Amino acid sequence: MSRPDVLDSTSVGRSVPRLDSTEKALGRAQYIADLYRPGMLHAALLGSPHPHARIVGYDIAAALAAPGVVAVLTGEDVGDGLMGAFIKDEHAIAKGKVRYVGEPVAAVAAETFEEARAACRLIEVIYEELEAVLTPEEGLAPGAPIVHEDLERYFAVFDAGSEGNVAARSHFEEGAVDDAWADCDVVVEGEFTTQAQAHLAIEPCGALAEIDATGRVTLWSANQSVFRVQANVCESLGLPMSKLRCLTPRIGGGFGNKMEAHIQPIVVALALKCHRPVKLILSREEDFEIVRARHPFRVRMKTGAKADGTLVAREVEVLLDCGAFADDSPGVLGYSLLMARGPYRIPNVRCTGRLVYTNKLRFGAFRGFGNPQVSFAGEQQIDMIADKLGLDPMALRRRNIVVAGEPWFLGQQVASCGLADCLDAVEAASGWGARPAVERLGTKRRARGLAITAHISGLLGTGAIVRVLEDGSIVLNTGATDIGQGSDTVLAQICAEALQIPLDRVVHASPDTDGSPYNWGTTASRVTYTTGRAVVGAAEEVARKLKEHASEMLECDVDDVELRPGGMVGIKGVPARVLPFGAISARAHWAVGGPIVGDKTLVFDQPTHDPKRAVARGLPFGKIGVFSFGALVVDVEIDEVTGKVKVLEAWFAADVGTAINPMLVELQFEGAIVQGIGYALFEEMVWDGPRLANPSMMDYKVPTFRDAPYDIHAIIVEAPEPGGPFGAKGAGEIGINAVAAAIANAVEAATGHRHHHLPLTPERVLSGLLDDEGAEEIRAA
Amino acid sequence: MLANVPEARPIAGGATLVAMINADLVRPAALVSLDGIAELSGISGTAAGGLRIGAMTRHRETASDPRLADSLRLVAEAAAVIANPVVRNMGTMGGSIAFSDPCADYPSALVAARAEIEVAGPTGRRRVPAAEFFVDWYTTALEEGEIVVAIHLPPAVAGVSTYRKIARTAGDFAIAACAAVVEDGGAVRVAVGGCGPVPIADPAAEAGLAGRLAEPGVVRAFAAGLAEMADPMSDVRGSAAYRLRLIPRLVEATLGDLAGMREQAA
Amino acid sequence: MTGDSDFKLDINGRTRRFDVPATTTLLTLLRDELNVTSPKRGCNQGVCGACTVEVDGWPVRACLTLAAGCAGKPVRTIEGAGDALTGALQRSFVALGAVQCGFCTSGMLISARDLLRRVPRPTIEQVQAALSGNICRCTGYRKIVDAVLAAAEECAP
Repeated sequence: MSRPDVLDSTSVGRSVPRLDSTEKALGRAQYIADLYRPGMLHAALLGSPHPHARIVGYDIAAALAAPGVVAVLTGEDVGDGLMGAFIKDEHAIAKGKVRYVGEPVAAVAAETFEEARAACRLIEVIYEELEAVLTPEEGLAPGAPIVHEDLERYFAVFDAGSEGNVAARSHFEEGAVDDAWADCDVVVEGEFTTQAQAHLAIEPCGALAEIDATGRVTLWSANQSVFRVQANVCESLGLPMSKLRCLTPRIGGGFGNKMEAHIQPIVVALALKCHRPVKLILSREEDFEIVRARHPFRVRMKTGAKADGTLVAREVEVLLDCGAFADDSPGVLGYSLLMARGPYRIPNVRCTGRLVYTNKLRFGAFRGFGNPQVSFAGEQQIDMIADKLGLDPMALRRRNIVVAGEPWFLGQQVASCGLADCLDAVEAASGWGARPAVERLGTKRRARGLAITAHISGLLGTGAIVRVLEDGSIVLNTGATDIGQGSDTVLAQICAEALQIPLDRVVHASPDTDGSPYNWGTTASRVTYTTGRAVVGAAEEVARKLKEHASEMLECDVDDVELRPGGMVGIKGVPARVLPFGAISARAHWAVGGPIVGDKTLVFDQPTHDPKRAVARGLPFGKIGVFSFGALVVDVEIDEVTGKVKVLEAWFAADVGTAINPMLVELQFEGAIVQGIGYALFEEMVWDGPRLANPSMMDYKVPTFRDAPYDIHAIIVEAPEPGGPFGAKGAGEIGINAVAAAIANAVEAATGHRHHHLPLTPERVLSGLLDDEGAEEIRAA
Repeated sequence: MLANVPEARPIAGGATLVAMINADLVRPAALVSLDGIAELSGISGTAAGGLRIGAMTRHRETASDPRLADSLRLVAEAAAVIANPVVRNMGTMGGSIAFSDPCADYPSALVAARAEIEVAGPTGRRRVPAAEFFVDWYTTALEEGEIVVAIHLPPAVAGVSTYRKIARTAGDFAIAACAAVVEDGGAVRVAVGGCGPVPIADPAAEAGLAGRLAEPGVVRAFAAGLAEMADPMSDVRGSAAYRLRLIPRLVEATLGDLAGMREQAA
Repeated sequence: MTGDSDFKLDINGRTRRFDVPATTTLLTLLRDELNVTSPKRGCNQGVCGACTVEVDGWPVRACLTLAAGCAGKPVRTIEGAGDALTGALQRSFVALGAVQCGFCTSGMLISARDLLRRVPRPTIEQVQAALSGNICRCTGYRKIVDAVLAAAEECAP
């Protein structure tokens, strides 16, 4: 496809290896657990044994006297500061009460980890147990114990409508849903439930804080945003942000787990108390128990269509388990409702939902952010309608998908849309329709399933600073944390392309709240698009300044000079008159004008809600948009003896605008699909009453090499986004949203049973095969 | 050493014990390594024509030993599906069976293979049939101070055998497993694992199966009988209800597959 | 045997004496005593594979291996690898996108090298089986398989 603004593509579109992959392959990359500071202490945590209790008092004398102990921290040491991405409801450490089993209630810093752990066992906390709520239904019951008594006094960044145990409620509506059912020739209705999924990034969370002689704090931590770390720590500890510098080591995966705070406030508080560096790395069990997980959803959905397959109406009601703190949950609620219509033109839609506090681990951002949950329901209902109307599921979708120029639900513009091409691509690649619906071989059945999806890329604030060093090489600073998805490389490629220089002349600076421009975070598939735009803007400013200098140095008009590949500026049409960036930068540094710096900051500002078309109450993101699209076909095998489901092959085509680095885009698709397979088939966090029953990798299983098909066909489709950097949109989450639905659609084709509950365990599938009464009610024990 | 130091624990491959130490679940006063004790290592032929698997034999070695063929093949198949290749370089048969995890892979295979466990302790040596060695949840017939020395297998007999495991993912503990042997002479032995505190087997009923695997009603009745004997647990891997439903299907399918293999070989 | 242990270990070709508690795992010793940080602690239970190193010529879980039990057996990590197979694997991992967050990479390379030493031309299934003890949450595994096959192609006689 053509990119008329680029004369000679030096980087964009090339599958260059990630800039940090060599150090990782050599075993030299430094993650938080690999960092040491002189005089460093080690910390350990004491967690609450109760799901809900008032803290009456502490006895820390024995702990303080224990060998090696330097400090003990409890809620009495931290002020009343509250943090929270949408609703500020959380202290740095439990204060006054505990709200879930495992919630950190005290911390010890000691010379060795073993000494810190031993001292924790000596801390006595006196509790007054309170009745707990363990499900959203319990939380909503009249007279239910209240998880946050001060809820109505908390600061919220949007109209959350918080009340009782309802942390937030949202209501979005377009058209006239209640009247529209009468126009439908077919209506399907059902209730679906999805389970809690653990991120299980192979690196557990960790942090290391150090105080300098002036009392300023330097904090390294596993994070997805140094700025969210800074805000959360400072808000909860009552520190001015200028007093905290947040830095980033290499990150061993996040997927949302590291987007908001984990133990950073505790580690900083301990370091402030000890005046020595303090390091805490969570065990795998703690990472399961005290960080965050994907929201379990209950989805009631109703979809109606005409006999010719035109979709007419959809009604969605969701109930989210918030867990003990709000965290990113209001965003997940709102986003899931924004996406629940699906990438379809449906004129009458109502999506409502509530987020309910419970006394469990809080749920938060996890790749997909509510989209996988509503897609599990929505994409099955599309297939149900196809089935009732006798239409091919592919054809039914084609008939109704949005196209560029049409509005998204609530009114956001869809400026680019390659969804039709995605459907074409998976149809052709998978041979959809060419094979019989169900094939049988011995005791195995094979069938295919289709599901489609969309996801956003533009959200909140970001910036980029491009500096030309004395010798003409470039430092790019965006504050965007590379969590393992390759943003350092992609942003450097965008910068290199804009300046037409070789990639190895650009370095992406490590995020540093002291020196980097603000970047909300590496989340929401937003960095390539949102931060990429800032990079292009900053690079263009640098290009302009380079040309101004060059025109003076070459004594010509500024319109007569151009950038040339390889880091040069020359006079158009006169090959011999040329200057390298280094010469220009030297002049700028030493003689005229000052060092060349370009900067661009922006906030995504396209409104999501058009009040002329839609009603929206409780919209947590007022400005979110820029849509990527995807279509997934899976080929699935079901074992009739055991009910076990295996994905044999998958074809996934997604429109990412422009693939800045095709290999890295494929990796996002492939990784997301495998994570989605785990979500669809066997990953589940299980609570035994108030306690997490399986907080270990022995008991919570993620896919291994043998549980993922080799044959995942990642197909890149490009429908360039007008405002995107070289047309690019997001790619990080689009791959996970449709997996559970596509597999469920395939299982239905093979077994005749429509599944309403995730995960599709062998037990559920076997029951469905044998058409049991009990199939709908089966839960993991 | 073990007798003289109170709270001392023997350590074999360490795959389970060190994990428990890491999780702060046990704090042994001392560890006595069983590594390097000649009598505990290696797979050797016995005078009776069978095999003697030293307690310290790694799963990797067991999984790849060609002498575990025909009626003994199921033992190699069980070893081959324990965890993953790296853990199979570390874990030992003696260490594994001494732990007696009901969802582990050796117990049902050894019961179906009619193995005998050689045990040594302060009061001397003895042999325990596999079916009597696994007593309860994480409980074996080992007395205080005893360790497993070796696992004795009877001579291989012409026939087919297999260990079939149902698990959530590759390498997970079993939801249920079926270990089965069909000898050319017609004898059938079956044990079901993962569905109760110890492997489930009914040697008396097995006699009625001999030579009658082609009769679906007979096989079905036998499989149902094993399910009746089961008292499975519900855990994060699967519910008791699912395990109960799975047992007859698994046993029938496994015996059917073995019967099919014999036909093809014939 | 009790309390602290005094023993010598050959780590990446250099032998040193250690005096640490007997329950010290090889992972802790490598990372904390020697600053050999390529083996990572992902679970401390032997499941994730990020701590996989080579002892006595076999890949093992450093988190489940007692350091004292390695006396007399060569211990090898990725930092100490200078052989052609490791080099080929590292190059193909980098070139073909088998490295994302990188936390699993060191352990993955140890397992992959072991496979290629024993099976110079593995099939896709053999690669999947041999590496099934190394969990990756980022890549979806396909590009790691491709990288191992590419390195095999480069090195196989």
